[in-house]
Amino acid sequence: MSGLLDHIPAYVRGFERYVPSRPDAILMRQYGVSRLVRLNNNENALGPPPSAKEAVAAFDPARAAVYPSGDAYDLRHALAARFGKSPEQFLVGNGSCEVIASVIRALCHPGDAIVTADRTFAVYEWVTGFSGLASRLVPLKNLALDPAAMLAAVTGDVRVVFVCNPNNPTGSWWNRATLERFLRSLDGRAMVVLDEAYREFVDDPDFPDGMEIMEKHENVLVFRTFSKMYGLAGLRVGYLCGSLEATDVIRRTHIAYSVNALGQIAAAAALADDAEHVAATRRMVADAKAFLLPEVEKLGLEYICGQGNFLMLRTPVSDTLLYRRLMRRGIMVRTMTGFRFPNWIRVSLAREEAMQAFATALRQALDTK
Amino acid sequence: MPDETRLVVEIPPDMAFAHCLAGVAKTLAERLGMGPRENLRFQLTVEEFCMYLAGVVRDGQPMRIELTGKRHLLNAAFVFAASEVALGALNITACAKPSHDGENPHDLGLLLAGKAADRFFLEHHGHDLFRIVAEVDKAYPTLPPVCPPGISRPPYRLLAEHDPARLTQAAALASGAYPAWQCSGSFRTPEKFADLVACGQVECLVAVDAGGQTAGLVAWRPCSDRAIFFSGPFVFAAGAERADIARLLLDGMLMALARTPYAIMLSFRPTDDLTPGYFEPLGSLQGSAGAGEGQQPVVFRHLREDAGLAVWYSPRIETFLRQSYDRLDMFRDLLPVEEPAVRTRAESLLGATLDRQRDLAELQPFLDGRDMALNLATHVDTIRGKGIGRILYYMDLSRPWEAALAEDLMHAGFVPKLVLPYAGKADKVVWQHERTS
Repeated sequence: MSGLLDHIPAYVRGFERYVPSRPDAILMRQYGVSRLVRLNNNENALGPPPSAKEAVAAFDPARAAVYPSGDAYDLRHALAARFGKSPEQFLVGNGSCEVIASVIRALCHPGDAIVTADRTFAVYEWVTGFSGLASRLVPLKNLALDPAAMLAAVTGDVRVVFVCNPNNPTGSWWNRATLERFLRSLDGRAMVVLDEAYREFVDDPDFPDGMEIMEKHENVLVFRTFSKMYGLAGLRVGYLCGSLEATDVIRRTHIAYSVNALGQIAAAAALADDAEHVAATRRMVADAKAFLLPEVEKLGLEYICGQGNFLMLRTPVSDTLLYRRLMRRGIMVRTMTGFRFPNWIRVSLAREEAMQAFATALRQALDTK
Repeated sequence: MPDETRLVVEIPPDMAFAHCLAGVAKTLAERLGMGPRENLRFQLTVEEFCMYLAGVVRDGQPMRIELTGKRHLLNAAFVFAASEVALGALNITACAKPSHDGENPHDLGLLLAGKAADRFFLEHHGHDLFRIVAEVDKAYPTLPPVCPPGISRPPYRLLAEHDPARLTQAAALASGAYPAWQCSGSFRTPEKFADLVACGQVECLVAVDAGGQTAGLVAWRPCSDRAIFFSGPFVFAAGAERADIARLLLDGMLMALARTPYAIMLSFRPTDDLTPGYFEPLGSLQGSAGAGEGQQPVVFRHLREDAGLAVWYSPRIETFLRQSYDRLDMFRDLLPVEEPAVRTRAESLLGATLDRQRDLAELQPFLDGRDMALNLATHVDTIRGKGIGRILYYMDLSRPWEAALAEDLMHAGFVPKLVLPYAGKADKVVWQHERTS
């Protein structure tokens, strides 16, 4: 039929909309279960740090009637104090997904392209796609981002290179030397987004700190989030840190007032008292790996377990069939065909009880004929 | 030759324009290099549809006509508003035989248009908006099967670019190495397969060995906004390496489809080379006479999590549906619908595609009517009369009126065999006509 939809851009028409999972109550009814263990989004099972919990509990409901700080003023100052930078170097978004969109809007012209890996966090490719721009997707090499191939993909029309470090979903990462070589070879030809969403889970001293790297390389933007380690995924707070000049440009395309008041308060509070929380979360993840990996090995399944609070398993049946069988047992995982890992699932590493429930359900699901 | 040429025009419902449009159709067919026979059939289709529709389109409302030429076919779409249409003449069973009162039961022009086209589709939107699409295929030569290459050598890789000669060769290889029911119909005319790929109607992956010899093929095309049908994998190597090549092809296909709008992959013709564990069985269909009439498997897999769906159903197939969805661990809200007490339209309309080579006829309903039960029976008789043994019928569970036809189908000898998730606007039920001795 003819109509308004005839005139929408082809890149919008052809774009696959993201369908989020349904609310727990609906999923439990659909699959006939009385509880649902979500292991699909790499949330922190310990929740936010105590200081953030207190800040959320102390939030006066009357403040819901008042607009938040339009540019997350207090949170930016807290971040600046934490990292020894200017508050103007920070840009806070409604999750890092919003900041990805702001970067692409600010830096790319029609006809430009971005470079990233073929099997990495999908939102870089999505935002690029529905913005009418091209993604140059570089295959992983040995399950890690391939610096040489990514450099080779940076042609004259490439404005941004997205480097997810550690990479979601493989957990592989570039060390200091690899990142430094990459940036030197790139020689400022494109902006580099160093997405460190999972960096707080890494305790290897050779893991590069984006906040230091960006001091040496003006073309580096560092992305971090409060959704993973800081357990504030439900409040959606992410941010970028870049040079004063780059952040100022990106701020022009960023929607003001997009981060809610409670999220800003909780995030600032989380920063104030996070050492024990980070240590406890790392212990939980280590314990989960120690429990789960032998279970997986007993089942004879191939796995990828790098840095981050997740692991991937290769499934002997299609990942989407295993998903449905696990849902029938009250366990929700992430199928990975959409990440271009056909017949793999990704599982969040969480508390012991959840890991035991997953291991039991996995055994049962794979026994099903 | 362009991959696609499209002309769009709006005309008043006036027969005087029909001849002009036939001229446009002629020029389009000539520009696309169609043969004289296809050219004439396309002209006839366009002219006769225009003439007929001029008489039924609501007064004062224009008709929108879209003529599209692609490498492999000519396509005419007619969009119009009408309070009622009688399209029974488009049934493949319709003929010009007068009834006992001497009146011809069908509009002769419409009958001609229906016979001149290779197939047509009808969409009915809201109360009175219709879209009829008629297609005329380009004729291609049937090529003899090609001998498989000699010994192939690893490593195997997927080709990034599609060369028409390579595609033609791969299709001919598949046609020679696999039974007809496992092959796409276009493999018999490999040049058509290459054209379908060039036009984007079909996508495929070709695997080659270390020496550049064609080692495998997998092909797919959309069957709805959410699902694709695939054929293969076809492997042209011997021994243990077959499994490696098949897996390379399937992984490549899954990665190619991973971030597309498609949620489901389906196949009515999986080969024995399908990698174990990659796909799930949906059920099976009675095989063709040439294939020994065994059961032919139908397989599927999701490309992402299934968020559930609401579907209409007739109580006559409630048990079948509940068992199917339960076996698949797939959630659906089942909404009951009863057979209509009164059917306002006299003539029903079924779309039919016949493929003698694969011993297959496929039916889908376009319009309900009081004669639906008889129309189904007549279609079965006609198709059987053409020597075709396998008759499938597709019921889209997104439309209550389609779901309500279960009773008529059962009367006509059809049996629900399996559910195709997302194969239509919602899931589709595949019915197969049971052969009687």
